[in-house]
Formats: sequence, structure tokens, C-alpha cells
Amino acid sequence: MSAGSNYASSKLESDRVPDKFPVGMKVLLVDDDLTCLAVVKRMLLNCQYDVTTCSEATRALSLLRENKGAFDLIISDVHMPDMDGFRLLELVGLEMDLPVIMMSGDTRFNVVMKGVSHGACDFLTKPVRMEELQNIWQHVVRRKWLDSKEIERSGSVEEADRGRQVTDDSEYASTVNDGIDCSWKYQKNKRDAKEEDDNELDNIDPSSSKKPRVVWSVELHQQFVNAVNQLGIDKAVPKRILELMNVPGLTRENVASHLQKFRLYLKRLSGVAQHHTGLNSSLYGASSNAKVGQLGRFDFQALAVSGQISPETLAALQDELLGHPPCNLAMPTIDQPVLQQASVQRNNSVTFERGIAFGQPLLKGQAVSSFPVWPANDLGALGSASNLGGLNTSQNSNMLMTMLQQPQPQTVPSESNHAINVQRSCLVAPAKSSNKFQVQGNPMHINQDSTIISQSSANFQAGNAVVPVIQDSAVVASHSSTSMKTGSNLFVTNHRSTILPSQSLTGISLGNDSGLLNQGSIIVPSQPLNSSQAGSNSILSSQNSMVVPSHLSGSSRTDKNIIPITHNSNLNNSSSLVNYNRLPTQSNVMPSSMKQVLDNLAAVDSFSVPVSMNSQVLSSTGSSTSWQLHSPDISISHPNGTHSLVPSSCNIEATDRLLAKLPDKGLGKNLGFVGKGTCLPSRFAVDDIESPTNDLTNSSAYTGDDGYLQNQDIFGISGAVQSGHCATTSFK
Amino acid sequence: MLPLCSRVLLSHPFSPMSLMALREQLNMLVNSMYIEGLLDQQFQQLQMLQDASSPGFVAEVINLFCEDAERILTELTKDQAVVDFQKVDAYVHQLKGSSSSVGAQNVKLACIQFRQFCEENNKDGCLNALNVVKHHYYLLRNKFDTMLQLEQRIQAYDSKQQN
Repeated sequence: MSAGSNYASSKLESDRVPDKFPVGMKVLLVDDDLTCLAVVKRMLLNCQYDVTTCSEATRALSLLRENKGAFDLIISDVHMPDMDGFRLLELVGLEMDLPVIMMSGDTRFNVVMKGVSHGACDFLTKPVRMEELQNIWQHVVRRKWLDSKEIERSGSVEEADRGRQVTDDSEYASTVNDGIDCSWKYQKNKRDAKEEDDNELDNIDPSSSKKPRVVWSVELHQQFVNAVNQLGIDKAVPKRILELMNVPGLTRENVASHLQKFRLYLKRLSGVAQHHTGLNSSLYGASSNAKVGQLGRFDFQALAVSGQISPETLAALQDELLGHPPCNLAMPTIDQPVLQQASVQRNNSVTFERGIAFGQPLLKGQAVSSFPVWPANDLGALGSASNLGGLNTSQNSNMLMTMLQQPQPQTVPSESNHAINVQRSCLVAPAKSSNKFQVQGNPMHINQDSTIISQSSANFQAGNAVVPVIQDSAVVASHSSTSMKTGSNLFVTNHRSTILPSQSLTGISLGNDSGLLNQGSIIVPSQPLNSSQAGSNSILSSQNSMVVPSHLSGSSRTDKNIIPITHNSNLNNSSSLVNYNRLPTQSNVMPSSMKQVLDNLAAVDSFSVPVSMNSQVLSSTGSSTSWQLHSPDISISHPNGTHSLVPSSCNIEATDRLLAKLPDKGLGKNLGFVGKGTCLPSRFAVDDIESPTNDLTNSSAYTGDDGYLQNQDIFGISGAVQSGHCATTSFK
Repeated sequence: MLPLCSRVLLSHPFSPMSLMALREQLNMLVNSMYIEGLLDQQFQQLQMLQDASSPGFVAEVINLFCEDAERILTELTKDQAVVDFQKVDAYVHQLKGSSSSVGAQNVKLACIQFRQFCEENNKDGCLNALNVVKHHYYLLRNKFDTMLQLEQRIQAYDSKQQN
């Protein structure tokens, strides 16, 4: 490699003598073609840049790593024998975050597109002309400005950042790795890129020793997320994140690749969220729901459960989940219903904004009234499962929750029990009247976008209805006064289901409404007692959905987001508390895995959780199981701004009242939980409210029904669910 | 082999050809190469890049190109019994790249055609294309030799004059 200049040459002039820049800008030129190397080098020298040439990509990479800060810009050929130019490009972007210009004699569309998708800031056609090289300094300047803006804003309010994020994303698109604007290509490209990146990470430097793969544990990820939060998701740069994390042994490369995945995840979420807005119809359309591999989700869950979700997996899973708009349908809607439910008003009071990533308000508009009324919460009743045909409170019966989907739910009256398998966008709406939808034991498998709405009061008794709703279903438990009682309504909605326990006055008794929504499911236990609790019941679980037991009394959250952790604004301790955590002992669960899951969730999803989230979940009674999420607030503002992360440190105490209070600092909106796998609450102690004993809840929520629980993945608990009955969700 | 007149001229280093005559000869040579399609605009860029600070730039690039090209052609000529199209394509791609960087137009175009045959997995086409590439390359190479010699003489003349 011939050095056209020395490393020690002047630093980037823009730092100090602006008018001299770009003179002396340090360029690293990589090309295996010596002829081209000589020509371009000469041209660069004529432009008064400092040039270092390298004919091997691997050598170039080691040069870059050894001398951080020695170069301002890299120009690289695409076709090289020892390493593909795109791979070098990605690595440089991840590790050093320097602008890279690609060169090639091959200018076919797909080649140039590949450059763009891998993060190149420009693409030159060979033979390169002098004029083209004269302006390359702009890429350095642009990146520097972005960096400095990052620094400035790193301390800014998260909310503000979040609010800006969407726009920021688009602004920074050109130079940032994840700045692929074309959403239509995004998924594919990113997936490719991600896959390649995965491979690359494994063989990062073929010529040198391989580094052991870093496993992003929950704690580590949490730290990462905190660091990113601090910097602002859009402006987080690997080096700064690394500094903030201050983890010995962690390399910048590790952080960089993790960040890339994280960003991808966020982008997907925001992309998904956007999709949701009009996706209502898709519910019925169900088209591609199937796509998202459910299995994949489950796997994911399993991973989540294990507490070690590798970012890639998470990202991939997220991608899957989120990447499929149709799938998302279900999810978002949950917010709505939930909110609606929550709000006393029942009528649309909820303004859901899509708090959840998935956003789609399911129940928008639908009259809230149509919510089926759940049998009064008496959880006891539920427990009794009397109506429920076979609902055993102890078991999680599947409750079909019907969701009111958009304007009109197509109802397919189905009276209870039977297992309703809603596949694909079916809307099952149990009669409006009071019949109850009892799902008893019906596992509702709603596949794909089904919406089940059960209206009628009192039904759904689910207490244990476990509604495994898979895929974007929205289950709306009626709202009736007793609604969902559920306690155990577990909604296991995988994927994006939203379960809204009804709103009845008694609110969902939620308790258990735990919606374990995996993947974006949101369970919002209704609000019990008359309060429209807004939101609190929502359980958002994104990916490991969260169940937000609403609580009660009146808090109305409208925020669209379901709070993953119930936001109890009012927690009034009154009766209405929904105890999410009902899990007292039983669940206890929060099994550590859950916790991990939660953490992961939190971490991954970076949703911004109201900082105050950490809220403590409260549980009034004391109970024992408190689910603790550690790390409080993970807040990463979601690009949409609506997501809230479940604070990892939320302790959701199972005790009877689950009150996960999210200190909602107005964030109400964020509900997003995107947690993978954590399912919280499935059992929100709805029962608690009603009856302290509900143990229905215990049963209800997931106890028992493992089958439904699906969900393990839903809850992200591997197996824990079963054991603890959902440990996650129901916090009993 | 160099054309007769060039040989005659060059064989007498101290021939009375003036500097100006040398330069003229060089120009004519280069122009003819442009006209015949041996060189393209890129070569002009190279010429422009050569200046006082890098007097041997063009020579350097030409030499690099020739080394590269001959290495590749040697590889391509080997083992013609069994053709590994991907490998061949990779070589041809390299040759195409370096020829385009130096401005060797005919060679570049021949390489493009060669790659077509590779993509079609056409062995005969490839063998033919290889011959075409070689033909163009050696033609170019001869002219480059003359060019470089003229240039050397010119530069020697200049430095002689300066001394």
C-alpha cells in the first residue's frame, strides 16, 4: 500500500480552519486493481486530499481499526477478491461510522441499489473522472454535522427527541446506515443486510483471529438501550454508546452491529405503525398474516424466554412481526379498544393513537358499546365458570375476545364456547346480547386477523378465557359490566392481538386481562369498575405483549397506547385496582425469564416508556409476586413516539392489584410495549378487583391453560407460563 | 514491431530530430490511437493529470496496466480445456476495469464482449473472445511502447537541454 500521505497529516480542516477544508481531507482508497488505484490516487492528490491506498480490503479494514480517526472518507471498489466491497462498506459503517463511497465499472441498477442499501454515501462509475472526485468532501461534512447534532441533542428530552425522530429519520437518511428511505425495499434490503451482517460479524476479519460473538444479555442490552436513550435513538453512534455503556470487553464493533439491528427494529416498528393506520380493513383481509411465521414467533418467544434474545433474533422477529403490516392490524387496534374500554365513556373515548406500534386501533369507532359485556367481573363468577361452559377459571379458558374492529364488526355471532378458531380475519362477534361469550375453554385461535367481538355483557367470562389470539386478532371483550373478567382473560394473543377486556364497569376484571399479547398484543384489561380506565388495562405487549391491566377507576388514558404497564393513573387503590399481578405466588412469575424477557422487551423495543414508568407496579396488596421489571424505564422513544417501553424495571407486583402504574407522565401514549415476549400480565388481576380472592385469576389467567398460553411465546416465558400460569401475565 | 520509420528514428538517439519534432511525433501517435479507437477520453484525463509534480504519471499507469493485463491474459490462456466460466468472468472483469482506467478502449470493449460469452457459458465464444482481446491488447501495447519511448526521449532532451 502506498501512502500518498502520512497519517499524521493534518486533521480534518473543518474542525479548525474551515476555509482550508477540504484540503488535506484524509481518504483511504481501496481497490485491487492497481491501475485504477494509481489513477484515482493521482486524481485525489490533485484535489489536494491526503490519500492512502490499499489494494486489499482486509488490509484496509485493519488499517481503519488500528488508526481510528486517521481517515475521513473511504473510497472502495465493489469487486475485490478478498472481500466484497459491500461487506467492507457495512463493516466500516458499523465500526467506524465513516462515509464510504463505492466505485465500480458495473453500474447496473441492482449494484448501485445494493450500495445504497448497505449504506454507501455515493457510488462512482469507473473510470472515475476528476470532476466527480472534487466534491466528495461533502460526504464528510454531512456526516460530521450529523454527528455534532447528535451530540447536542443527546441530552435533550426524550420526548422531544421522539417527536422529532420521525422527521429526523428522513433527514438523515442518506448518510446513516439505516437510512434507507424506501420502505418498500427496506425490509428486504435490511434483511439481506442484516443477514450479511450476521455472517460478517462472525467472520469479521478472516485474516485475523475470530472474535467470540457477543451475546447480548438482558442486562447488556439494557445498558445499551439506556445509552441509546440518552443519546437519542437517532443520534446514537456506536462509539458514544460504547462509552456510555462502559462495559469492559465490549468492542465498538459489537455495539455498532447491535445498534444497526436495533435501528432496524425501530424502523420496522415505525413502518408498521404507519401501516396500521389504514389497515383496519386488513383485518378482514387477512392477507398475509400468515406470513409472519407464527412459529417464528414462537421461537422467538422461546428465545425470549430464555432471556437471551440475541438482538438479531429479536430484530428478526420484530421484523417479521412488524414487517407485515397486515399482521399488525390486530395489534394496534388493541389500543383502541382498550382504551375505549378503559374509558368509561366507552365511546370512543379512547383516543388511541396508536400507541402501540401496531397501532391500529381496532376498535375505533366501534361503539364501545358494542363491547361485549363481560360478565361482571366477578371473578368469582368467572371462576365458577359457570357460564362458561367449560371455562374453568382455573384454566384459562380461551376467551375469544372480540374485537371491535373498525366500524363494523362483522359479527359472527358465535356463542360461546366453542372454540372459535378464527382464521384469518374473521370477525367473531358473539352476540350482542348478553350472551356470553363464553369462551370457555375455547381456545380461540384466532388466526390472523380475526376479530372477535363479543358483545354482550357478561360474557366472556373468561375468566380464563384465554384467548389465544394469534395473529393480529383483536379480541374485544365486551364491555359489559362484567366483562371480561378475567381475570384471566388472557389474551394470549400472539402476535398482535389486542385484547381488550371489556370495559365494563366492573371492568375488566382484569385482571387478567392480561393480555399477553405477544407480539404486540395488547391486552387491556378493562377497566374495572367503572372507570374507564383508560388504558390502563392495556396490556401491551408487544412482542411479548403487555398486559396492562387497567385499572380502574377511571383513569382514562387515552393515550393510545396501551400501557404496557398499566398506567394507573388513578390508581386508586380502590377497588378498582386491577391487580395485575395477581400472580401472587402463583405466578410469581415473573419468572426470571420473564423478567428477562421483559428486559429484553424493554430493551429491544426501545419504546419509550414513560420514564416514570418504573412505576411501580403496584400492588397493593402485597403481594408477593411482584413482577419486577428491572430497569425502569426503558425508554427509547420510539419513533412514533408512541411506544412506551415497559420499563423494565417495572415491578409489577402481582399482588392483587396490579397496578402497574406507569407514571405516565403524560406519556400516556406510549404504550408500546414492545416487548418481546413478556407477557405481562396476563393475568391482570382483574379478579382482584372484584374479589380479592379471585383466584380465579389464578386460574384465569393463564393458569392452566397452557395450551393457550401459547403461548409461551406469548408470554415469553418459556414454559413458565405453564407453570405459573402465566406467570407473566397474570400477576396475581 | 515498431513501424519502420519509428525504428529508424529511434535508433538514433542523437538524431537531429528536434524536440519539437519529437513532440509532434508523439502527438500524432496518440491522436492516431484515439482515432483508431485504441484510446478514449480517459486517456486524456491521464494526460491532464501528468504535470510537473508527476512527470512519469502516464508511464507509470501504462506500465501498471500492461503488467496486470499480461498476468490476466496468461491466466486466461491456461487451461483452455475446461473452462470455469465464473473464474474467467472474474478475470475478464478485472481486465475490463484496468483497461477502462487507462483508457484502453478497444481492449475494454473486447472484454465486455468476452463477458457476454462467459455469461452465456459459451466456451467457443469465450475462446474466440480471448483471442480478440489479445489481439487488441498487443496492438495497444506496441503503440504504448513507442509512445513511452518517444516520451523518454523528449524528457531526456529536455533535461539535456537544461543541463
